[in-house]
Amino acid sequence: MTDTAPLDDTTTGSPAEGAGDRLIETDVTTTDREMAPADSVIETRDLAVYYGEEQALAPTTMAIPEHRVTAIIGPSGCGKSTFLRCINRMNDLIDGCSVDGELDFRGKNVYDEDVDPVALRRKIGMVFQKPNPFPKSIRENVAYGLRVQGKDDGDVDATVESALRRAALWDEVKDQLDSSGLDLSGGQQQRLCIARAIAPDPEVILMDEPASALDPVATSKVEDLITELAEDYTVVVVTHNMQQAARISDRTAVFLTGGELVEYDDTQRIFQNPEDQRVEDYITGKFG
Amino acid sequence: MARKDYQEKLADLRGDVLYMSELVIERLRQGLDALERKDERLARDVIEGDHEINQLYLDLEQDCIDLLALQQPVAGDLRFIASAFKIITDLERIGDLATNLAGYAEDAEQDRYPDVDVQSLGDEVIEMVETAMDAFADEDVEACREIATHDDEIDAMCEDASQTVVRDLIEREFGPDVPQAEIEELMQDVSRLLLTIRDLERVGDHAVNIAARTLYMVESDDELIY
Repeated sequence: MTDTAPLDDTTTGSPAEGAGDRLIETDVTTTDREMAPADSVIETRDLAVYYGEEQALAPTTMAIPEHRVTAIIGPSGCGKSTFLRCINRMNDLIDGCSVDGELDFRGKNVYDEDVDPVALRRKIGMVFQKPNPFPKSIRENVAYGLRVQGKDDGDVDATVESALRRAALWDEVKDQLDSSGLDLSGGQQQRLCIARAIAPDPEVILMDEPASALDPVATSKVEDLITELAEDYTVVVVTHNMQQAARISDRTAVFLTGGELVEYDDTQRIFQNPEDQRVEDYITGKFG
Repeated sequence: MARKDYQEKLADLRGDVLYMSELVIERLRQGLDALERKDERLARDVIEGDHEINQLYLDLEQDCIDLLALQQPVAGDLRFIASAFKIITDLERIGDLATNLAGYAEDAEQDRYPDVDVQSLGDEVIEMVETAMDAFADEDVEACREIATHDDEIDAMCEDASQTVVRDLIEREFGPDVPQAEIEELMQDVSRLLLTIRDLERVGDHAVNIAARTLYMVESDDELIY
């Protein structure tokens, strides 16, 4: 299960080190989370994003519950991927991108100066639209994050097996761990990327259109996996596929043109009786 | 507007449900007329015409299934299709009850109990179905709630009518001189009359179901669904 490493320290120091600027409370245990599984793990307050002068995300305030799947939907250019990338500061890598407001991960603003984005990304992993395994063996793909973090002194094989099992891929690849990850099918490659994301034991997994490049069978497997992952992780998934959002998520946020978060509620509510007429029009196909 | 074909199919379904309701209401009226006039030919038309309603029901049910399977409706569209799916079942059952009324027409002898006004009761429940379908067409939630309230009055009227018949039966004295055939004929008339009252009361219940599904369709409110 997840540890409680601080994010102001790029080493893998013990939870007792680096006190004062932790993003993760050291007294939050697995048991605590199981008792209160719907507590917010990420909260934004007036979070806004600009690319140069252009506002890509209007001031957004929302709370993402722990151990739940939160779907983000909306038309192209509505800011949903921009929002997702804010959560683990991937937007830092985009020239001209600036962020206003606050995004708290376990009560700590990830945009504070003392937060190390690399450490943040260890706690908040990401899976992208197109499967992007490294040109390495299956084993090394999964172990990559551990090696980068210097965590490869323990039983790496056990961690690799655990991650592949949690990614529902172990049974399919256990006899070919030294084969190239690139030899796998598209669906298997995406699950390999999910295994790679969970091997360092993050708390949150961000997924940006994780099944849009997959066939229906592979999509079903990834969707099942997302639901299972929510038992151990908080999952935030951006998808263009509204039916997919309806199938797999507990909460749904609808962004519309202008980067505005128009409605955020239980998925059942959004797809059966949304409050905002614009959301009704969008999800029923009358708009966009 | 996006998804033009889908929007047209939704509009078609709405129109077809309303058409089915017109057909069913017409059959209900004919069933009542046949009963009043003891018109065997009209009764036969109603009974044979039920096949048309059943086929229409099956066609619309398939349309609903197709929309659910192929279009993945959500929100207001989903509630509309789910409601239509239920409403056509109520309409089909009302059609069956119309054939029951027509079936009673052949041997009906309603005059035994002039205090029991089957035709007025029939007019009341027909109006309820018409009002429920108007509420569906106009998405009128207030009308839906009024129908549910009105059904309590219909139930009371049916209860009174049934009691009138049963009380008379209890109080009636059958002496030894009354032929057995006459008693049996009376019992058959009474049974038919009680069944007629029960069927009309059920038509009212189906009208309430239609109103309940309409309220759910418009406001996602399950207040009247029970």
